[in-house]
Amino acid sequence: MNTATPRLSARGLVKRFGPTTALAGVDVDLADGESLAVMGPSGSGKSTLLHCLAGILLPDSGTVALDGREVGGLSDRERSLLRRRHYGFVFQFGQLLSELPAIENVALPAMLLGTPRREATDLAGRWLGSLGLAGMEGRRPGELSGGQAQRVAVARALITGPAVVFADEPTGALDQTTGHDVMRILTETTKAAGASLVVVTHDAQVADWCDRRIEVRDGLVRHAEAAR
Amino acid sequence: MNAVLALAPRLQRAGGRDALVTTGLAVTAFAVTTGLTLSVVGGLLGFMSRAEQPVPAGQADDASVYVILAWIAVVLLVVPLLTLAGAAARLGVARRDARLATLRLLGATPREVVGLTVAETAWQGLVGAVLGIVLYLLLLPVCALLPFQDTTFSVAELWVGWQGLALAVVAVPLLAALSGAVSLRRVSVSPLGVARRETPKKMTWLRAVVAVVGIGVFMVISAAAGSLGAAAAAALLGAMALGFATLNAVGPWVLGLVGRVQLRRASTPARLLAARRLLDDPKAVWRVVGGLGLAGFVAGALAVLPSIVAVDMSDDPQGAILVDDLVTGAMVTLVIAFLLAAVSAGIAQAASVLDRRREIALQSLAGTPAELHDSVRRRVVLVPLLFVSVGSAVTALVMFFPLLGVESMLSPQGPLMLLAFLAGGCALVFAATETSRPLLRSVLADTVVRAD
Repeated sequence: MNTATPRLSARGLVKRFGPTTALAGVDVDLADGESLAVMGPSGSGKSTLLHCLAGILLPDSGTVALDGREVGGLSDRERSLLRRRHYGFVFQFGQLLSELPAIENVALPAMLLGTPRREATDLAGRWLGSLGLAGMEGRRPGELSGGQAQRVAVARALITGPAVVFADEPTGALDQTTGHDVMRILTETTKAAGASLVVVTHDAQVADWCDRRIEVRDGLVRHAEAAR
Repeated sequence: MNAVLALAPRLQRAGGRDALVTTGLAVTAFAVTTGLTLSVVGGLLGFMSRAEQPVPAGQADDASVYVILAWIAVVLLVVPLLTLAGAAARLGVARRDARLATLRLLGATPREVVGLTVAETAWQGLVGAVLGIVLYLLLLPVCALLPFQDTTFSVAELWVGWQGLALAVVAVPLLAALSGAVSLRRVSVSPLGVARRETPKKMTWLRAVVAVVGIGVFMVISAAAGSLGAAAAAALLGAMALGFATLNAVGPWVLGLVGRVQLRRASTPARLLAARRLLDDPKAVWRVVGGLGLAGFVAGALAVLPSIVAVDMSDDPQGAILVDDLVTGAMVTLVIAFLLAAVSAGIAQAASVLDRRREIALQSLAGTPAELHDSVRRRVVLVPLLFVSVGSAVTALVMFFPLLGVESMLSPQGPLMLLAFLAGGCALVFAATETSRPLLRSVLADTVVRAD
């Protein structure tokens, strides 16, 4: 593991939902530019871990820090702004707005940060081109294949130049070949953009694309290993 | 019915709060539709019975005029009433997607799924009809306070009869089922989900041609009616219905144009999204604002009444009563039209939030501010609302010009009344769309709770 200050660092994360303990004291470090696979069966707490790391959920106890700065003390609104500014997200499906063409879906996060429309659209066009989607800028999400839609989602996550990209089962709705294609693009472009990557998956082959993997079981990290 | 379909009611209950909200909204819409329809029909029957047995004998001449005017009010309200009933049926169908897919997965055939949905919509229609009858009964004493022909109505005059109530109980569920079946034809229910079979049909300039022809025909007929006298009243009614059909044909097309202009000028995410949503389905937005558009049309037509009447009948006491009644009737018609528009708008907004709940929730996880959704929601309604209500009022003023002549345009009283009504109606519809705000909040909050 990198000895410098980790990009993202979590210590002693505990999260309960009623009587269920989703996280029972988890430590995670993510180095600059590193990709980490979070594995585990369904209900193991891996999505909760992702939500806590990304500031979507606040842990009951424990801390999460981005570049050494604690995010637990931030208000809901501040955490929302943090996600918009410093994080990118790729979900399983359904994150693209159905009424917007691909290029505007990609441009939207940049516009939300104040980039003028024309500039944001130009940038989005370049991202789509570099991900092999040239000529599809005007298509709606409903007119894209599953793999194409996920590439648009990758472009959408990266357009703001985030510090960390969070991907929650990004290949869950795809066939194996397309899934590998999307993982290759996700890991390569994230690294090229200088961002770190957290991928939640239950698929070992998907996890193979990442630098490192951890396994969550019953709310605890059971073992960690270098995937490559 | 097979074992799979026997499971359907349990799946409905498993739908949780979403299903409950949807069902509640649909039933509310059917109830409002039924209640107001019965009240309007009751009013029509009241005028008809007065025409047959004029209470003060001297009013026999005018009585038939009142029946014609009551019919005009009914024609004016038919489209908004049908729109609301259709919206309710669609709402019920749209929100059953996950459950319908589950049924298909369990082995139900497409035909069975359609049958089930239609039956459920009919059931909602039935409950709505019964509640609507209650609403009608509650409104009866209120309606009876309205003064017409120099005397208020008695409850007996406004009573639609037991056969009227029975007809509502049969007709509303039937119409609901029919409307539900029609909207199901636009989706394909596969075991993996409900896909919209949509490539929204492109609307052409043909709609504009239809509009121009419609307006022209109306102007010719009404000019002819002026010379032919009361015999042409039926033709006038038909022309009025034609005017409405015209507005319905041209409305979505015009909204599409508005959307294109908005899109070109959009500089913020909220403006961009609102323009795209309007362009995506102008017909859906028209269903929200169209009711008020039609009311605006009515208001435009009525705005000129006080002035012509003042010119023609100022010396005649009988005529003065007729003028007062015309204004009262116009107000009542408008208030009902505004109420219908507001309920339609509220329901369409709620449906839009429910339909987009996954998109909205994931956007919020990714850090999109909640205010964006509020702002988009408001913009999607507000801009078309102002455009449509003002546009249709102006259309009405133009259309009635040959009928009423130039002096009708000179009195400030009519336009002022028009302005006041449009402002009030817009405010009412706007307030109704705000009722979806808590629903949006709960969609946003839900994600966090169901995070794992």
